[in-house]
Amino acid sequence: MSASGLLRQDASAMADAVRGNAVSAVALVQASLDRIEATDRRVNAFTAVLRERALRRAAQVDASLASAHGPRTRELPLLGVPFAVKNLFDIAGLTTLAGSKIEREHQPPRDDAALVRRLESAGAVLVGALNMDEYAYGFTTENSHVGPCHNPHDLARIAGGSSGGSGAAVAAGQVPLTLGSDTNGSIRVPSSLCGVFGLKPTFGRLPRTGSFPFVSSLDHLGPFARSARDLALAYDAMQGPEGRGPHDPGCAQRAVEPVGAALRLGAQGLRIGVLGGYFRQHAQPEALTAVDAVAQALGASRTVDLPLVEAGRAAAFLITNSEGAALHLPDLRRRAQDFEPLSRDRFLAGALLPAAWVARAQRVRRLYAEQVARVFERFDILLAAATPSAATPIGAEFFEINGHRLPVRPNMGLLTQPISCIGLPVCAVPVWGAHPDLPIGVQVIAAPWREDLVLRVASALESAGVVHAPVAPLA
Amino acid sequence: MTPAEIEAYVDASAAALGLKLRSDHRPGVLRYFALAAEFAAAVEAVPLSERDEPALRFAPVPPRESEQ
Repeated sequence: MSASGLLRQDASAMADAVRGNAVSAVALVQASLDRIEATDRRVNAFTAVLRERALRRAAQVDASLASAHGPRTRELPLLGVPFAVKNLFDIAGLTTLAGSKIEREHQPPRDDAALVRRLESAGAVLVGALNMDEYAYGFTTENSHVGPCHNPHDLARIAGGSSGGSGAAVAAGQVPLTLGSDTNGSIRVPSSLCGVFGLKPTFGRLPRTGSFPFVSSLDHLGPFARSARDLALAYDAMQGPEGRGPHDPGCAQRAVEPVGAALRLGAQGLRIGVLGGYFRQHAQPEALTAVDAVAQALGASRTVDLPLVEAGRAAAFLITNSEGAALHLPDLRRRAQDFEPLSRDRFLAGALLPAAWVARAQRVRRLYAEQVARVFERFDILLAAATPSAATPIGAEFFEINGHRLPVRPNMGLLTQPISCIGLPVCAVPVWGAHPDLPIGVQVIAAPWREDLVLRVASALESAGVVHAPVAPLA
Repeated sequence: MTPAEIEAYVDASAAALGLKLRSDHRPGVLRYFALAAEFAAAVEAVPLSERDEPALRFAPVPPRESEQ
């Protein structure tokens, strides 16, 4: 198969091809760069393409394969796989924008982010940085500074956010693997709207060292891919405690708990519930159809309500609004006009929240987490739609949900926000056919530290043909 | 909070923080503060005892020598 043909496969297939000398890492990376060149004027997923660095790194991979180190190099799980990262991950020599205009003035970092280093140590090759909502505060990636990211499956629609470029680049077949961040839904929303797989691990699982923060007490990092096995491959490569040097104080520094081998266990024997109440009231018909299709495939018929879910979502909103704004207070004082117009006023309001609201929100968050933990005594997996609707048109201000007209930008994440608020691991899986033309995602949710379960279920659904992530034609 | 209370609070707290709100930013700030106030009401409505702990814990930072 040609390198451009392989680029339409998943990362696991690409690594296998490089491992078997069917393609070189340089040819694969060149195919990725060519695809980006051919499609990104329309998609606008990339804010920087690292052609020289990527080709140099790919050549090193090929040279290592041909050297005395060949046998060891051949074992690398992501051998020669091109990947890209949301532009809030540090990339040595490239200014970390976090989607902003303000950060353009800052010096570039000297080192790559911890997770970029870990993926490259696993054989992957970084090819670029990706579009996002400014400072990760948004669900649509309608970035006013660099232009909106377009959904590869319908270029007139949003890719979702805040990691919109990360979802779009995978859906567009530019790269098979990307990284994003998720504070309130920023991995799961673009996964849903772009029709790809996304993993938001447990809060504290993966180190955030070398990434630009949004809300330290809620920020998670994780991968996007076109198959569950790719998520597992990347996730396993990124796990583990940090060694010497800077540490993420929010990282639990747990030992590696590999999930790759567990995927074959499937979903048999798991107690699976479908979230009702809030999660069904805030969903359009395509979202409900998608959840029902997944539930039926898994034989899940029991509905369960999450206690305190609305208060949990409220807590996540207040903590985000206040902590995120406080981080940027010096710039909000000096140069508010340089912020993204679509989120600036929300940041300014957040700077003014009374401390008592936020302190109480953190206590409610704890109580909510304790009550949800009791639900997981009866269930291994919970299912809910990832977004209330499929992708909305770029520029749309409102959508209608269950008879209520709601602003799109703060509400596209209303089904993801209550889950990340308490740090649960989630795999967003892409469902087709629930909407006439567009994909929509379902959240597969487990108790803390059980990423193995969400990936097992995702893999089982994929094997059964219930979920899949095709490359958008972009003819 | 009433709209008048929100306006009074926003203007006073912005002044206290040294945050000058431009006239074209202020209506959006008032709108988002009102939204946050709705969420605050949802959080206030949850009964808590004095013994309900916050979600976050502080992790003390040991000196480097004691890590070894």
